[in-house]
Amino acid sequence: MNSLDPRVSRLPEIGKPGVILPKIPLDQFASFEVFVQPREGKPFQHEGIVHAPNIDMAYIFAKENFTRRFTCTSLYVAETRNVYVSSTTDGERNAYDLVADVSTSGVNDEYEIFHLVKRGKQHIAVGTVMAGSPEEAMSTARKMFNTKLVYNIWAVKRSNIRLTTPEELDLWTTLPEKRFRDAGDYKGGDKLKDFLDKQKLTS
Amino acid sequence: MNEGALKELLYKMADDLLILGHRNSEWTGMGPLLEEDIAFSSMAQDKVGQSLALYNILHALGEQAPDTVAFTRHAAQFHNCILVELPNQEYDFSLIRHFLFDTADSLRWEMLTKSTYEPLSLLAKKIKGELRYHTLHANTWMKQLGTATQESISRLQQSLQVVMPYALGIFEPSPNESILLTEGIFEGESALQAKWKTRVEEIVSGTKLHLPDWKTVTPVFGGRLGKHSEHLEPMLNEMSEVFRMDPTAEW
Repeated sequence: MNSLDPRVSRLPEIGKPGVILPKIPLDQFASFEVFVQPREGKPFQHEGIVHAPNIDMAYIFAKENFTRRFTCTSLYVAETRNVYVSSTTDGERNAYDLVADVSTSGVNDEYEIFHLVKRGKQHIAVGTVMAGSPEEAMSTARKMFNTKLVYNIWAVKRSNIRLTTPEELDLWTTLPEKRFRDAGDYKGGDKLKDFLDKQKLTS
Repeated sequence: MNEGALKELLYKMADDLLILGHRNSEWTGMGPLLEEDIAFSSMAQDKVGQSLALYNILHALGEQAPDTVAFTRHAAQFHNCILVELPNQEYDFSLIRHFLFDTADSLRWEMLTKSTYEPLSLLAKKIKGELRYHTLHANTWMKQLGTATQESISRLQQSLQVVMPYALGIFEPSPNESILLTEGIFEGESALQAKWKTRVEEIVSGTKLHLPDWKTVTPVFGGRLGKHSEHLEPMLNEMSEVFRMDPTAEW
């Protein structure tokens, strides 16, 4: 069936009887979550997603897709499937109330913890905990960071994060000068007004 | 200070960056992935920005204003190497050009951080982070496609063969280099080329690509003297089209 319509082109072919095959994955890249530190001293915040074949490619894409304007001091990425997500609440209850107690495993892997404090906003990093699993990380985070109502919690194992190395921190040094990338740098309205004023004078 | 020798260095660097910046910007809206389209376009913009910084230094030395220099010269007045003016082909060609040129470019600027000519050494330090990203981007792509599939490896390999003679044209020698060396402005093209070969070999060794035997590659020279391929003039005409409509326009 030669058709550009995906409803047709993705229809399964009529197979031979008795043949069982695994489902063919879509020809698509994995997604990676991008976290940006907008200013020195500010926490990292979730900015969005890039698609990439691996985490190193995701990092180079994230750098220009999410930090090509405004200001940025650092960046990191993690594959979406490595981001563990708590139950989300309706805002009446704290998401930490829905986190189960997990006894200490004694394993000391570092996990980064993120909070969603306002619906429709970004997840923001609140700190690091030591744990042996994402469940334990959230349980530990409840003891350490449960100070106000949060809608949702994320936990990401630090070894699954592509961090910016100390020597890479100069990647953004010239960024504040790139004002030409902001719409606000183009005074279109002023120019139009000048043009119309000139037209009035000549007519 | 020998101003002629210095200006020659500044012009060839600025022209390389302007022309490659324009060529790479031709991928805007047509990149192989949305994410890459944006990344490659941003780097093209960086290159044009770096060329502007160099044209500003030249302007301070008595040359014409950056826009005049960029948009009103003929092909024979440009000093870029032929590598950067070649038309885009498949993306593998642009990636290989990006890798070979940017490796040389970042090493050149690294050498210039020690230049006795302060405007250059200051600029070199300022744009270090931009260059770090450009080479990180190029090296990550080389590693990715240079180890991925038979098709990606053979495409990159094919482009590497085609591009290499032009890449060696980056280092076209000039009699003025000894003056720059004596004055501590720039160590020279052959010193740069030696560093470049080592770095290129290092990156390529992490892939399934093969470098040609350096002795068998004949460099394509001429660009530094204004002897260009037939591809530069049409590109300049297109690049300056809007400027020529109204050279006094303010943006």
